[in-house]
Amino acid sequence: MKLGYVFGEVAQGLKRNLSMVVSIILVTFLSLTFVGTAALLQLQIGQMKNFWYDRAQVAIYLCSTYSPAEACPQGEASADVKATIEAKLNDSTLKPYVEKYYFLNHDQAFSQFKKEFAGNTVTKYVTADQLNETFWVKLKNPSDGAIITQSFSGVAGVEEVRDQRSYLDQIFNVLNAASLAAIGIAVVMLFSAILLISTTIRQSAFSRRREIGIMRLVGASNFYIQLPFIIEGVFAAGVGSLLAGGAVVAIVQFFVQGYLATNLPFTNFIGISTALLLTPIIFGVGVLLAATASIVAIKRYLRA
Amino acid sequence: MISIENVSKTYRGSARPALDSVSLEIEKGDFVFLVGASGSGKSSLLRMMLREDIPSRGKIHVLGENLIGIPARKVPYFRRNIGMVFQDFRLLPNKTVFQNVAFCLEVIGKSPAFIEDAVPNVLRLVGLEEKRDRYPNELSGGEQQRVALARAIVNKPQLLLADEPTGNLDPATSLEIVNLLERISQAGTTIVMATHDRGIVDRLKRRVVVLKEGKIVSDERGVGYEKAEEAR
Repeated sequence: MKLGYVFGEVAQGLKRNLSMVVSIILVTFLSLTFVGTAALLQLQIGQMKNFWYDRAQVAIYLCSTYSPAEACPQGEASADVKATIEAKLNDSTLKPYVEKYYFLNHDQAFSQFKKEFAGNTVTKYVTADQLNETFWVKLKNPSDGAIITQSFSGVAGVEEVRDQRSYLDQIFNVLNAASLAAIGIAVVMLFSAILLISTTIRQSAFSRRREIGIMRLVGASNFYIQLPFIIEGVFAAGVGSLLAGGAVVAIVQFFVQGYLATNLPFTNFIGISTALLLTPIIFGVGVLLAATASIVAIKRYLRA
Repeated sequence: MISIENVSKTYRGSARPALDSVSLEIEKGDFVFLVGASGSGKSSLLRMMLREDIPSRGKIHVLGENLIGIPARKVPYFRRNIGMVFQDFRLLPNKTVFQNVAFCLEVIGKSPAFIEDAVPNVLRLVGLEEKRDRYPNELSGGEQQRVALARAIVNKPQLLLADEPTGNLDPATSLEIVNLLERISQAGTTIVMATHDRGIVDRLKRRVVVLKEGKIVSDERGVGYEKAEEAR
């Protein structure tokens, strides 16, 4: 096998089809960047789920003087109400599900509120008695929130029972939809990349039809005839895949770590190591698709 | 060397078969002319021998290979034992004489040392050693066909197929090519040449197989074109 010949042919083919090659590079670059972004989103969702679901608690908000009358006809929750709830949390039905719980009175709730909204002007208008007294319940298994919700909803003196996971699920649904959209776009673009590669290979083969004719005539092996075309397709898509890998790393480095992580300091974002892990996968996918498309295209051309 | 039994070929969309129950035996070292009008099946027959095409019916063996059953991946290796030239030369315009001949050795994986040795030898044989660095468009038709011949025989094939090799050449130049073919034949290569050049067939007095409408109508040794035509 003469590698010199093969690479000479590849270089010639790439030069002759430069505009097609550039478009293959761009299309694979963009489509794989979308694939990579979708993967990043999924990983981010996974990481946030781990982080937040662990911390998600169920809040039992007790009635305050500001509570709406239909939920709290008897006004501010009495000490009896608190004792009943505490007893219920400790009885044998609920105890196995509860890891721990704690109670915040108006002042404690207010100081926590001030901590969470530090620097926000809303802290100036809110007073301690506006904030509900709350039982915070941490469950052994965060997905058991419904048990607490059902046990305490409608109980006298309880304004509302809220599972924090329901907030999180909304966020995750949005992120999931975004990553599905990215995958959808990526699939369409990958499909056009495949068509583009096979068109380019056919065109390249057509412009070298004399050489191919002679090679078949004198008995060059099929592999030898096909190899330059396959390398041509793989090379172009490989460059696009590398760019896509670089783009994914850049997104994590500059957008996620550089922008999001500094502006949303309490969120656990994916790091550069995750992106570096994705890069070879993206490259592999690109090369594999291009090799398949090229092989099919050149085999079909040669059979025709 | 070549054994063809009852070979028929019908191309799609054509009612009349291109070849109709053709049987032919060609021995090692034979020099055979295939003659007949355009469309008589000469080229089809040559294509079958090179396994460019498969018969619709019948059996064909060339160089000991059953060309109907041969797996596709073995076809290239089978073709390495066959040289072929065409009416239109089929040289690569962007390669010199030397490169054109060297190309067909490179692509079957011959070493540079072998190529450096074999190509000048074959160019000497066809009388083009002086023009090894010329491009095809700088050569006359006869010279181009000699390059094509050099390319066909540089790998020392056992069988040389020629499809109207003199079809584009004037009589004097045609004669040069035929003289070359004779020399190649004398060196032991089997030659099958499709032609309708009466002058050459008459002059060489070799085996002449006449095809008409896909059938062999006569197969005579040592006669001219007219004789062969009459014999049917």
